[in-house]
Amino acid sequence: MNNSNAGPVEANGSPPGIAARQTADGSAAPLQADRRVPAQRGKQITFLYDGRKIKAYEGETIAAALLATGQRAYRTTSSDSEPRGLFCNMGVCFDCLVEVDGRLNQRACQRPVAEGMEVKSQHGTGQWETPE
Amino acid sequence: MMRRDLIIVGAGPAGMAAALAAHRAGVRPTLVDENAAIGGQIYRQPPSTIRTAVPSASSADGQRGAVLRSQIESSSAHIELLTETSIWGCFPGNRLAVQRCGGWQMLTAKQLIFATGAYEFVPPFPGWTLPGVMTPGAAQSMVKSMGVLPGKRVAVVGCGPFLLVVANQLHAAGMEVAAVVEVARRRRFLRHSVGLLSDRGLLRQGLTYLRNLRKAGIPMYWGRLVTEAQGAGELESVTVSRCDDRGQPVGQAKRLAVDTLCVGYGFVPRTELAQLAGCHMRYLDKQGGWVAETDETFQTSVPGVRVAGDGAGIAGAVVAELEGTLAGLAAARDLGCLNGPSHAAQSAPTARRLSKLRRFRRSLDQVYRVPSQITELASPETIVCRCEELTRRDVETGIEFGGRDLRTLKVTTRLGMGPCQGKMCWLFAARLIAQKCGMTVQQCGPVNVRPPIVPLEMSDLLNEAPTVRAEQPSTTKPQDTATL
Repeated sequence: MNNSNAGPVEANGSPPGIAARQTADGSAAPLQADRRVPAQRGKQITFLYDGRKIKAYEGETIAAALLATGQRAYRTTSSDSEPRGLFCNMGVCFDCLVEVDGRLNQRACQRPVAEGMEVKSQHGTGQWETPE
Repeated sequence: MMRRDLIIVGAGPAGMAAALAAHRAGVRPTLVDENAAIGGQIYRQPPSTIRTAVPSASSADGQRGAVLRSQIESSSAHIELLTETSIWGCFPGNRLAVQRCGGWQMLTAKQLIFATGAYEFVPPFPGWTLPGVMTPGAAQSMVKSMGVLPGKRVAVVGCGPFLLVVANQLHAAGMEVAAVVEVARRRRFLRHSVGLLSDRGLLRQGLTYLRNLRKAGIPMYWGRLVTEAQGAGELESVTVSRCDDRGQPVGQAKRLAVDTLCVGYGFVPRTELAQLAGCHMRYLDKQGGWVAETDETFQTSVPGVRVAGDGAGIAGAVVAELEGTLAGLAAARDLGCLNGPSHAAQSAPTARRLSKLRRFRRSLDQVYRVPSQITELASPETIVCRCEELTRRDVETGIEFGGRDLRTLKVTTRLGMGPCQGKMCWLFAARLIAQKCGMTVQQCGPVNVRPPIVPLEMSDLLNEAPTVRAEQPSTTKPQDTATL
């Protein structure tokens, strides 16, 4: 069953309004200059964001890993389809909601990334998978 | 139901200090925090895999956090530490609903201390929902604990000394800080300098931040504010305007190209647990919002429930630590681990230091006052409730339909019904009602808090499972406290 809030989704998997930062050939190349400062980091891992492979390091939150590539909008709002991203970074404002491994409305600023994790931007409160 | 002597919620400076004070008095406290590591927001640590070179706000600050953390860690045999643990409700009889490891259970304690900290106050203005606009604390912890720069060029705006701390850190981490925009006027600083001299150490710290900005060539604008943020899909620029004492923009505005805006006008205490516990609350502007009424040991109107730190009224990390110590000692006394005279003797030095710091704090409050007209930054079309996407016009209509207090306004507009449960919008809404209806914020009442106060899925709720060990860590024999 579709959630009534579910909006249209573009071919690239991002809800309209979120500028998917993608190279012309759709490769997973670094989207922008890496915004990480020099630091000792954990193991390098790869996770998926709207189907694209993103490089990250163990210990980083989803928000940090996305921000490091220049991706700043993670969802669009229910009524106005406005893009939203990180706001409080402490789990209070619920503006950075994303879908993580099929679970909707997860706070990107609170969830650590993991190898192979599937993160999707979401529209409104998200769209449930339609059972076949 | 699992029983404990003392449960402390929140492992920031107040919670850590409370646990240490109670432990030294012979109590075996349970310290709960929703994060993976202790420290709270101010002393937040990077995850174990990340070691950044970003400096703490000041070396003194970083050291203080490290001292408290290491003391807690070295007492781990006597302090039960429950991290990644959320409290989703507080029920009569000092019962806490504890969510941990995918399950939940009830814990009860003879004594409770809520050291729940604070969140930032951001009054709405056009463009404030654009990605790239965030709180100063958001950018700070992104840089400090993740080692990721939230953008290239940033403006740090709002009210309060925290802006100086964050601007310094972002600059040190390698961001270009275009400006610090402070709504307070510089001359207020001079007017209250006598009170600020009451704590020369803290004053010196503040002046160092200002000097560092000057050395780095970062402009510091006093008596100005950001009236608007612009951008297509993401933040591209902000408008900076001079303002009068009430916060009304005057004179010519200036456009500043930035991709990141850190905006915060001070802090609001997190009081959901105290409210659920049934503590008598009152609104105090200078404390940042609604706070529980307490005596000098931070005992609330509910027996066995104390509050401490910014969650008991905004006063910063140094004060929070002292309050935590006093609350911890008083809880130990009430548990019978300290007698009256030793409690009094042990509390006295901390209480003296606290009253001295309060004088400094009062002067700081006089310097950094959020002006009354700050609500006027929001235009009729500006989103003011970020969750429910309500505009200022929607809220004003709701007020006209009888929403003259926050509970009724929730019914007439849905304001505060989203996942943030009103945290991001209630203070603005209450100020708006107060202004439109000639009332006080106090008369608008607090937001009606209902459990669960943290996100809880039905699957979590169905999994009532003990994830905290059953036995109360045995209370050590009360030590001869006079020697401590």
